[in-house]
Amino acid sequence: MASIINSISFKNFFNYYGDYYDTRYEFEEGVNIVVADNGAGKSKFFNAFIWLFYDQILDSDDKIKKNIKDVAVKIISDKAKNETSIGDNVDTGIQIEYSTGRFKYQITKSFTATRLSQKITDFNSWQITINDVQVNRTDHILPKYTPVYDADEKATIIKQLILPTLRQYSFFQGEEVDSIIDFGKKSSIEEAVRTLTDISKYEELVALTKEFKDKAEKDLNKQTKANSDHNDRLDKAIQVKQHLEQTLSNEELRLGEYEKLYDDAEQEKNDLEQNFSNAEKRNELDNKIKEKNKKTNEVAEEYTNFLETINNRFFDGSFSWISLGFDNVVEDFQAKIQHYRELHFEKKTLKNINDPNKHFHFLPIDSPDTVSLKNMIDHEHCYICNRPALKGSDEYDYIVKLKNRPTDIKNDADYVKNNFSNFFGELQMNAQPFYNKISSIEDSILKTREREDALNDRLTKLKKELKSLKDQRKDLLISGSDGEDSMTIINRYKGAIRRIADASYQIEKLRESIKKLKSTIVTTEKEIHDLRPSNIPAGYLLNYEISTDLALATERAKNRVFDNMVNLLEKYANEHFQSLIKYNDLAGGILKFEKSPSGSILFNYIDSSGNIVHGSSEGFQRMKKFSVVMAVISANTTKYNYPLLADAPLSAFGSAFTEGFFEAVGEVFPQSIILVNDLYENDDDMKLNELGKKIIKKDFIKRVYINQIDKNREQIDRTTDKIKLK
Amino acid sequence: MTSQEFKSQILVKRPRYANSRIPAIDILANKGSRKSEYSQFGPIYELYIYAFLLGLKRQIRLPLPPRELTSDFGLEIGRWKRDSTLTDFLLMIIFTKNDEIGFDWNELEDMEATEITGIVFKVVTFIEEYANGGLEYLHGLLDKGELDNSHYMFIDMYKR
Repeated sequence: MASIINSISFKNFFNYYGDYYDTRYEFEEGVNIVVADNGAGKSKFFNAFIWLFYDQILDSDDKIKKNIKDVAVKIISDKAKNETSIGDNVDTGIQIEYSTGRFKYQITKSFTATRLSQKITDFNSWQITINDVQVNRTDHILPKYTPVYDADEKATIIKQLILPTLRQYSFFQGEEVDSIIDFGKKSSIEEAVRTLTDISKYEELVALTKEFKDKAEKDLNKQTKANSDHNDRLDKAIQVKQHLEQTLSNEELRLGEYEKLYDDAEQEKNDLEQNFSNAEKRNELDNKIKEKNKKTNEVAEEYTNFLETINNRFFDGSFSWISLGFDNVVEDFQAKIQHYRELHFEKKTLKNINDPNKHFHFLPIDSPDTVSLKNMIDHEHCYICNRPALKGSDEYDYIVKLKNRPTDIKNDADYVKNNFSNFFGELQMNAQPFYNKISSIEDSILKTREREDALNDRLTKLKKELKSLKDQRKDLLISGSDGEDSMTIINRYKGAIRRIADASYQIEKLRESIKKLKSTIVTTEKEIHDLRPSNIPAGYLLNYEISTDLALATERAKNRVFDNMVNLLEKYANEHFQSLIKYNDLAGGILKFEKSPSGSILFNYIDSSGNIVHGSSEGFQRMKKFSVVMAVISANTTKYNYPLLADAPLSAFGSAFTEGFFEAVGEVFPQSIILVNDLYENDDDMKLNELGKKIIKKDFIKRVYINQIDKNREQIDRTTDKIKLK
Repeated sequence: MTSQEFKSQILVKRPRYANSRIPAIDILANKGSRKSEYSQFGPIYELYIYAFLLGLKRQIRLPLPPRELTSDFGLEIGRWKRDSTLTDFLLMIIFTKNDEIGFDWNELEDMEATEITGIVFKVVTFIEEYANGGLEYLHGLLDKGELDNSHYMFIDMYKR
């Protein structure tokens, strides 16, 4: 039966302030989620298990695992420390309950700190005593726990929650997923296969049966010698066989060396190929980035320039913002100039009494202009009021009078000391561009803002596009080094190809030779059999024959199991991969497992037309690794019996992968406890984002907690509070 | 005196500002080079015209300190925005305020040259005192940190 974590509780453990019953998180078989914003206790939660398994915690300041005793003062809740008087004690601990089919266990690890002086964060202010691990057990029938006293038994109980060899696949934080499997090293996948499946049992069986066979043969030979007189021929045959076996063993050793050479060379070639294709893609992207950069800079400059010249619109006659709000000035001026002219011409009239009417005109000089006036006179029509002005009529004379104004004025007698008529007239004429715009200024300001918004939108869009290109470029960097020049890459690549060819040739030759040796050994064995005297006790011969058959059969069985395993791995990895990317619009490729010429497992990601895909984003790489780990677990013939405990496994996935992730882990692991911030939304009442709300409705999600920390409080007052949503 | 001569008398004047306004002017007009955290005008005279009309809109008229405590910005009114008729618009505004300045349009026409010089002086003082009022208003906001850090700061202030 699988190990299932029933609960975890804390006592004054970091911000998990309070006693165990205050801070109890309960979990069930299936998927359990603890959602917390950054800084709200995810890693601390995970640290409780590091304490449980290793008596260490991961110091968040320098990301180094340290022994509990050395960092105890850091672990105690600051609030609890602050509330402890000098001379008093404070307890800090973690308590985990888990069940297997038969038993339920409760494990408590804790220490007691005695306060010695004032400064609470000073390590010298506290005396630390690590308490004994307490392990209690109940058998599901009796409700009462009984203590386990034996230290070895306690250690075993802790160990079997997640076996140490499996913890790398089942107990990890964020980027640790990356180190689960290194796709660059084939041995890494094999190691995972060996650890998580029972293939190694077959290997043990192969070794064991070979040992039986060797032993049986030795016994048989001993009997043969004891029973035959002067059997030099048999001795010789046995010697020949021994020699052949020695040669075979040497050849197999050499084969192993060449296979390693082959693998290394092939790995280098693959790495370089990736580098090659990346170099090409990089170049293409660099050009696109350059172009986009140029465009972005142009628009940015236009935008800045636009903003900086907004104030020019005050004085530019096309906008004339400076006249905003001076509507009255036009009317005032109009009234004043009219009044001025009345008085002005009154004076004039008094001086030139002979023709008073001649001098009354309110239009400034040049308004209308002389050419227009001449036109009106020629056509005997007033184009201002669009009425006829026939020769001899008053209207006609008036137009003529307007046209003659400049000469008339000259001929006028002085009637004022300073004639400013033109001064005022010109002001009214010339200021037109400014006061004519007054009514449209509000609109012009609005349009300016619209233009700014449009420019800003354009700039934002360009910046986004640029960022996307740069992200793509960054993804390429992950899978290839930037520093090496192309000549070195080409030479290394050529070298690797040559070594692959050499090794391939040698491997083939050696295999041929091994095959031949093996068949010679078989004929030699036949000869030995024929040379044996017939009076050997039957049991020895039978024992030898059976053990030989058994060794052969186990060897074949192992190979068959291994082949099946590779097929199964491929099947499951693709199933998991598909479900992980289910909610993503990614064009899904295929994960391909193959046996290499050297007999190891090759792993590739190929697209629909069979090309190997290199590069791709960090989140995507992580997704592939996770698929393979889950495939290895699924491919195992025995059920995986341990929970998955993961802190921020989604950090590089991207939200579209999140939903698929929870579904997939639910299918593979009997229980998962996932600590995430990806579903957190501070502004929401439930503190969950849309995706979070969607996910928690699913049946396979059993428990959901939200961690809350009041960041406005001082550190010494901070506590992690939990809300149980499901 | 002709219209042209009268106009010239005004246009050759260089209105002045109090020396205490220099820091604010440095911040609010970039003179083609410096940038500040606030929206700026280009040449000082643009800021000066703006301040003059802002003072006028908000009716803040403030006398200048004695001449030795003031500066001009080396530019006669006639050279403000020379490629436009902006000064005509400004004069139009100023001449509607003749009652406040203290003259009558028609009476101007019968004045002796010295009297006209006196009126021109009054006109320039009118500009200076309202500009001083406008500058004081800007200066105050700047000191209190109440200037809006927006590219539309000047027009927004002007609308109100």
